[in-house]
Amino acid sequence: MSEANQKATKKLDELGVGSPDGVAPMFAELSATFAAEAEAATTLEAWKSLRDRWLSRKKGLLTQVKNNWLVPAGPALKPAVGKELNAVRARVENALAERKALLETGTTPGAEALDLTLPGRTARRGARHLITQTLAEMCEIFARIGFSVVEGPEVETDYYNFEALNIPAFHPARDDFDTLYLDCTAASLPVELRGKSDPHQRLLLRTHTSPMQIRVMEKQQPPVRIVVPGKTYRRDNPDASHSFMFHQLEGLCVDRDITFGDLKGTLEYFLREFFGPETRTRFSPSYFPFTEPSADVSATCVFCKGSGCRVCKFTGWIELLGSGMVDPAVYEYVGYNPAEVSGFAFGMGVDRFAMLKYGVDDLQLFFQNDVRFLQQFRR
Amino acid sequence: MKILLEWLKDYVDAGVPLEVLTRDLPLIGLSVDAVEQTENGAGTLVDFEITTNRPDLLSHYGVAREVAALYSKPLKPIDPAPAEVTDTASHAAKIEIADPELCHRYVGLLLRNVKVQPAPDWMRRRLEACGLQSINNIVDATNYVLLELGHPTHAFDLDTLADKHIIVRRARAGEKLRTLDGVERTLKPHHLVIADARCPVALAGMMGGAETEISFQTRNILLESAWFDPVVTRRAAKELGLRTEASYRFERGMDLEVPLRAARRCAELFLELAGGELLTGALDVYPRHWVAPAIEVRQSEIKRILGEALPDQVVGRILKALGFALTSRGPGAWQVTAPSWRRDVSREIDVIEELARHHGYDKFPARLPPARQPVVRPPHAEAEAALRQTLEAQGYDEALSFSPVNPADAEAFLAGGEELARIQNPLSEEVSALRPSGLLSLVEALAWNVNRGQRNLRFYELGKTYTVRKGRFREQCVLTLAATGLLREKTAHEAEQPYDLFALTGAVEAALELFDVGPVSFHPCDAASFHAPERAAVLSGQQKLGVLGRLSPELASRFKLRQPAYLAELDLDALHATGLRPRRYHALSRFPAVTRDFSLVLEQGTSFGTVRRVIESLRIPELVSISAVDRYCGRAIPAGKYSLLIRVIFQSSAQTLTEEQIRAGADRIVEALKKKLGAALRA
Repeated sequence: MSEANQKATKKLDELGVGSPDGVAPMFAELSATFAAEAEAATTLEAWKSLRDRWLSRKKGLLTQVKNNWLVPAGPALKPAVGKELNAVRARVENALAERKALLETGTTPGAEALDLTLPGRTARRGARHLITQTLAEMCEIFARIGFSVVEGPEVETDYYNFEALNIPAFHPARDDFDTLYLDCTAASLPVELRGKSDPHQRLLLRTHTSPMQIRVMEKQQPPVRIVVPGKTYRRDNPDASHSFMFHQLEGLCVDRDITFGDLKGTLEYFLREFFGPETRTRFSPSYFPFTEPSADVSATCVFCKGSGCRVCKFTGWIELLGSGMVDPAVYEYVGYNPAEVSGFAFGMGVDRFAMLKYGVDDLQLFFQNDVRFLQQFRR
Repeated sequence: MKILLEWLKDYVDAGVPLEVLTRDLPLIGLSVDAVEQTENGAGTLVDFEITTNRPDLLSHYGVAREVAALYSKPLKPIDPAPAEVTDTASHAAKIEIADPELCHRYVGLLLRNVKVQPAPDWMRRRLEACGLQSINNIVDATNYVLLELGHPTHAFDLDTLADKHIIVRRARAGEKLRTLDGVERTLKPHHLVIADARCPVALAGMMGGAETEISFQTRNILLESAWFDPVVTRRAAKELGLRTEASYRFERGMDLEVPLRAARRCAELFLELAGGELLTGALDVYPRHWVAPAIEVRQSEIKRILGEALPDQVVGRILKALGFALTSRGPGAWQVTAPSWRRDVSREIDVIEELARHHGYDKFPARLPPARQPVVRPPHAEAEAALRQTLEAQGYDEALSFSPVNPADAEAFLAGGEELARIQNPLSEEVSALRPSGLLSLVEALAWNVNRGQRNLRFYELGKTYTVRKGRFREQCVLTLAATGLLREKTAHEAEQPYDLFALTGAVEAALELFDVGPVSFHPCDAASFHAPERAAVLSGQQKLGVLGRLSPELASRFKLRQPAYLAELDLDALHATGLRPRRYHALSRFPAVTRDFSLVLEQGTSFGTVRRVIESLRIPELVSISAVDRYCGRAIPAGKYSLLIRVIFQSSAQTLTEEQIRAGADRIVEALKKKLGAALRA
């Protein structure tokens, strides 16, 4: 407001306008100032002071403009200034009349018609995917107890996905992983990858995030303490609890004197942080070729808190993840001395954790990108 | 593995109710899948999930061993002693193992004058409750022993065996065998077969042949109870698609010491159910004897792995209860040998697991291991977080899409020089390739939602693409954007605004601004997936960072998307390589800024970018910004021209600019635009 006032008191040459070209922008600015002030006049009182400010015969802004811009202007400028001034005056008068009509009929919110129940102006905010949020929360919990986050390739070799994890070819445990293999017959592939001349190099979609255990230990000496989030694949027909693509979080902790007690403490801490402080955990013997002893980890059912319901088949417990002490055979593959170091590893299905925590009853919802689903988890 | 509790009681009395049993067994590793009452009155059936390392638990007796150990109860021995007649078996048949590496043992028992008939009800009930079909008393007896002792056996009709000669050998290329299921199978040299003097009569460890099977006419029997190599069994079973109760067990590693006992138990049942006579002397060919490895077990190692040493008497009690032999090797050390049915136990760690399992995992105190190193995040975590935040603030929802896609759809999104990465054994053709571009996934996401009545959509995805390029599989990180419908819906306060190309370029610019990529420009391109002219390559200097535009009508109709869609894909690896734009303080000017608008009349085709470049090339130090405020063409503008209103801001960090200085700057701008672009100021 003050800028328009100031300029109106000065002559055009004082404002740096020497040629007709400079005239239009000056008036455009004036128009814009008026438009903004008019928009802000939402009561009749405000409208009156707006009218006086611009059109008052003696002190009105347009009067000042006439006196200071038009009257002293030289012959080169005068026609342009006169034309613009008339146009602006007409615009201001019309707009004021329209505005008054609007305010009197109450179609624009004035003080008396202010409807605070109308939703405010907002911009749409996007939602982060629930899986991303869940993974981030998991990584954050593990970071608090010293686990770094690493990521790895989804297309893996047979060696990293199976062999180095102590699952040689024709090991019956391979039945637990229905694997999707990549077609290596593409003509453009180098000969060594074509066909299956070296079964260790056979490419597949990783069936778990465990290959990163090997990749990390190959590169790094103990202590190792990592979690590995990522996509994993199995040849499972899709239904409410199966998918050919899903997410895992792998964990590995190797150091001197890491014991089964550390495994228990770490996972108990994680599950309490993730599902709530009342969560109790249970470890029961299991088998994975790359851990020994191996343990399935269950927690008190998140729905019935352990009293028994349909979800937990009335046991009060839900089996959540697999874990175990790293099998010494795995250390042989990466060149660690199993007599000196020990450690534990675990792997969990991120999608399943998210389903349990947020009550999602169909795994497929995570991959449909239905905006109604996504927006439910907006933060 | 389905276990009938009433059957289990033949060997051990747990002495606890069912609820206690099903609560306790999972805690020693026998996970319970289901408990049910059988329909045929055989009793209570507990379905255990048996891990692949424990083939010894694939039988009632195996489970009984664990139950007996768990509750310290006596286990009833199975010691069959079938009566033999004086005629010796070795005169009636001959057994030969040609490949002892693959067949460590082959026991044959001979019976004559049996009467094949249906099995008695009690046996049929038990078998059927456990999921096995009753055939006749002989086959049922072998199946009964399978479920009792866990060892697969097979009965041949002795009179159908040429020369009554059994040879365990590899198949010859091209040999054929019609198996019990009626399928004629062509064999390969890596298949192990049981042959008679003429030809194969059974696939070792998998299934018998149809020609030699027991029929109701069978009078004389050769009963096989053998040990076959796990790998050769598994390989053949997989290759031939023949997974049987026998192959399931042999591929896991059977007890080498049990074949004779299993055979005798069968014979005992044969005699009981089918009459006949057992010839004297088992034909027991046993070229590779079981040698239990001697395992050193130390308290120090128990403590190192489990966190706590166990009392010596606990170690002794658990191992003995499980059938292990142990001798003391000084304080806190033992030499342990595992029983023959525990081929999975050969190392100290295996024994430690047994101790932990039966001592109880819950007894080991939990602790948090002290951390010895700082936590490291993935190298691009910060950049990805910034991207997510920026895009979500602009209303983009994060999408997460399947990597496997339909190759027919994917082809359209392949860039030059790329091939699809295909899956060799896909679930179906529709998911048999990996996506070469995130654009495909997000077009599908748009279509999915529009079809469900959601018309105003904005998505981003931080994902990967998978292609074959120059003979290498390549995983690349990409940022994909997609939108359709309205940028802003109509409300009581404001009018609606459609999502258009500039909404997209704005989002792309906002994303790129996070990175240290320097000035970015959009250049017209001919990417076929986009609709001309609304398509562009995203460039930073000469480097291509991505592509954007309006989806081509062909693709829109292919995906049944009936409203305009805008998409972009950026090479996230390239952006990560540049890193986040460094932020640094620049002194704030204490002096006022002055705005000047220029209403230009330009040739159609002279872009704002060109105007800006001309102005910037003047290097006016006080010029702080140039923006395009309005575009107009029509009345009062000559044909072939258009009007562009630009707004320039001048500000000095050293002084208040004088009118003269501002005018001088403005004049230079106007003059340069006139001279270089033929621009005129609008009157």
